[in-house]
Amino acid sequence: MEKFSVVGKRIPQRDALDKVKGSAIFTKDIKLKGMLYGKILRSPIPHAKILNIDVSKAEKLPGVKAVVTYKDAPQVKFGIAPIWADKLPLESEKVRYIGDEIAAVAAVDEDTAREALDLIRVDFEELPGLFDPVEAMKPGALAIHDSVENNISRAINMECGNVEEGFAKADLILEDTFSTQAQSHSPLETHCCVARYEPNDQITIWTNSQAPHPNRQRLSLVLGIDASKIHVITPCVGGGFGSKIDLDPSQVICILLSKKSGRSVRISHTRQDQFISTRIRHPVSHELKFGVKRDGTIVAKQARVIMDNGAYNSHGPAVLSYNNVMFSTLYRVENIKYEGYLVYTNKNWGGACRGYGDPQATFAQESMMDMIAERLKMDPIDLRLKNANNPDEITANKVRITSCGLRECLTQAKEASNWAEKMETKSKYRGLGVASMIYTGGGSIGSGFNYSGATIQINADGTIHLLVGATDIGQGSNTILPQMAAEVLGVNPETIRLTTSDTDTTLPCMGTFGSRVTFCAGSAVFQAASEVKKILLEEASETLEANIEDLELKDKKIFVKGSPSVSVTFSEVASRIHFKKKKTVIGHGYYNGPEEIHEDFDPVSYLGYPSPAMVFATHIAEVEVDPDTGKVDVINFVAAHDSGRAINPLLVEGQIEGGAAQGIGWALTEDLQFEKGKIINPNFHDYKILTIKDVPKIIPILVETIDPNGPFGAKGIGECAMVPTAPAVINAINNAVGIRIKDLPATSEKIFNGLKEI
Amino acid sequence: MVKKHQIRITVNGEEHNLLIDPKKTLLELLREDLDLTGTKEGCDEGDCGACSVILDGKVVNSCLVLAVESDNTEVVTIEGIHRGDDLHPIQKSFVDSGAVQCGFCTPGMIITTKAMLDEIPDPSEEDIKHYLEGNLCRCTGYSKIMDAVNVAIRHSK
Repeated sequence: MEKFSVVGKRIPQRDALDKVKGSAIFTKDIKLKGMLYGKILRSPIPHAKILNIDVSKAEKLPGVKAVVTYKDAPQVKFGIAPIWADKLPLESEKVRYIGDEIAAVAAVDEDTAREALDLIRVDFEELPGLFDPVEAMKPGALAIHDSVENNISRAINMECGNVEEGFAKADLILEDTFSTQAQSHSPLETHCCVARYEPNDQITIWTNSQAPHPNRQRLSLVLGIDASKIHVITPCVGGGFGSKIDLDPSQVICILLSKKSGRSVRISHTRQDQFISTRIRHPVSHELKFGVKRDGTIVAKQARVIMDNGAYNSHGPAVLSYNNVMFSTLYRVENIKYEGYLVYTNKNWGGACRGYGDPQATFAQESMMDMIAERLKMDPIDLRLKNANNPDEITANKVRITSCGLRECLTQAKEASNWAEKMETKSKYRGLGVASMIYTGGGSIGSGFNYSGATIQINADGTIHLLVGATDIGQGSNTILPQMAAEVLGVNPETIRLTTSDTDTTLPCMGTFGSRVTFCAGSAVFQAASEVKKILLEEASETLEANIEDLELKDKKIFVKGSPSVSVTFSEVASRIHFKKKKTVIGHGYYNGPEEIHEDFDPVSYLGYPSPAMVFATHIAEVEVDPDTGKVDVINFVAAHDSGRAINPLLVEGQIEGGAAQGIGWALTEDLQFEKGKIINPNFHDYKILTIKDVPKIIPILVETIDPNGPFGAKGIGECAMVPTAPAVINAINNAVGIRIKDLPATSEKIFNGLKEI
Repeated sequence: MVKKHQIRITVNGEEHNLLIDPKKTLLELLREDLDLTGTKEGCDEGDCGACSVILDGKVVNSCLVLAVESDNTEVVTIEGIHRGDDLHPIQKSFVDSGAVQCGFCTPGMIITTKAMLDEIPDPSEEDIKHYLEGNLCRCTGYSKIMDAVNVAIRHSK
């Protein structure tokens, strides 16, 4: 095994020191001179035409400095790609969900801004609301967006092999429907931005974004202002989980208010704003049909999927494609059919949410796998091993798998959970459940882009500065990216100065999502570090009169292998290059891959999904059900993950533990509830994210396959950590009490009623 | 114009005399009047614990305390528990154990842990969970927070 000095070390997070002292700066901690406070007027109606907006009274309220409506904004719709653009920063003709932006106010304080909102009069012509995607996609249903037939934003029809022939060969065919609910990302820090508009369209915006560079690009399109005039700065980000990738209407509105008032403006979401106006996890129903042989081999599988898009697209079209890819790619199945619909409704819009459509698909598929195992009287782990993916394969849906540790995840999780013994000695009301998953470990170039840039400069005194566009939202990229650079350059990572997530000073990065930063930004850092290393070695080889191959780097020195006394310091080398050669020591890295895309790649169904690497995992949950109340306690939890080499095991474990906790929450308690389009539980009192009392000790297991293309063999970890959790819990409940929950979450009420029926 | 109230409050050992709008919360006083932004607002309705501070020895959600109610009290915030560069043992254990991810819940977690250890130097696992139940974390799954608290307990013995 290769020896590393920094990679693979459990180094605490670089930003943690400021965070424990309370000195870390988050967006809401920024207070500019003369700053105003912005508030947004949102639609109270799920579906209506806007007839008139009268802001005259609000404008007259003392302390109000600006009021904006669509009249102040360019009428340019935005979205994750131009073809999906369907949202105006401030709506002009129609509102499509409760929470839609209509007008906004900037005032000297939040109370005045709130008071001014009450003075804005909006006349609506109410339209029937469509809340059920099945109703909304019926021919003749009222169109939520003009031009979108049957409210279907994207439809996917994909078939690999021939499912009818596959089902004809099956010994057992099982069909069932599984549905999942809306989940709120609920980062502890709500959305916030501070905007400063200066003459000649010079804009600075501080915002807690997962993707500052794409934010700049989208702001440029929406505002019609050159990207070079827009400076996006991301301070510390208090969690994202997908909710902070999109351009949020509030960011555009904040700039419009700053422009109109001539002062800087802050918009900070209250927790209720966060619940009712930011993205959610798409609710999905999966109608599945699986055909298997007696020995457990899956010969055909088919899914008909309806995904509730809510009022606008955001990432919805890509989330549907991912739902297909992950459903189709997990397990080696020759005959696959997928039919999926993304349907607009008059509800909160879905978006990227940890797992990107995969948790929903995995819940359905892994529930089905358990039902098959039961019917075949097979151990659920053996059934999965029978069908597990292998390394170095191209799947039936043309996805290239390079490194793959799924079998190891299954066997190691089995052992760590004491599966065999516990299954033998199972007691009443206790049970074990298993589920596996596949996900991307490095984003994808399916949209045409998967870019991350890095720059390393060595100053004349030999000190090192790493600049990356990637954003640390808590996952730890600010720690592992310097770790990778330090490994290449043979230095202590703490000595590397780091600049990130600032669009004026860093090379573009597509952002923190898709479990892509370790792989993509890491590859860019590796490339940049290798480039500066080469420059240093070339100079040192002249100074030391030695061949480059004979030189080594350690502790900011370059020396001849075996003769540590024959050395030159970084500072001496850098100084010579700067002042004698009149050159700088700068290395750039830019990743945008994978290079190779399957010739059959289809950008709609994502057949031939082009990801640089796939990751795998197996979760095993042990639950105890209280027969008196139906309450489920998860008492033990093992999570084995193949995420390639762990650059920093401490942080990889942190991702796994946090992901599993989010997954247990989604399985048991988290449920955004709607009544006629209105979220009725928009607070942490009624929307239950898990507390320290509810989460068991998660046992993370790192299955370190060494990926051939990842930096140091690493792959991503962030999103996949919650993907197989819910089905593991649900399968454990079934094992404990024989109740098969097919619609999440598994509330105490459902279990209690189920127990009564037995 | 609403009549402002004169209050005297000691924060992290420093006494302040302030004229305060009666609608203002202690959280707003700390963040806006004293620029102590280490105390975080996660929900502003007492559900998440990000704004935890120690008020006269007891941990409270500062978003639920009116600033005028804190007249003649002593408050300790996250900025007040370390001395210069020397971290408090709880702060150090949170860093070293990997208990900090996004860091937004961290000040509240550390403050609540401190209040607990001031009251019960050797808490059981149940005590820890009881004390920290009101502090939500969305990143860590609490595993490494439990580790950090246990390390801090060992160090304080």
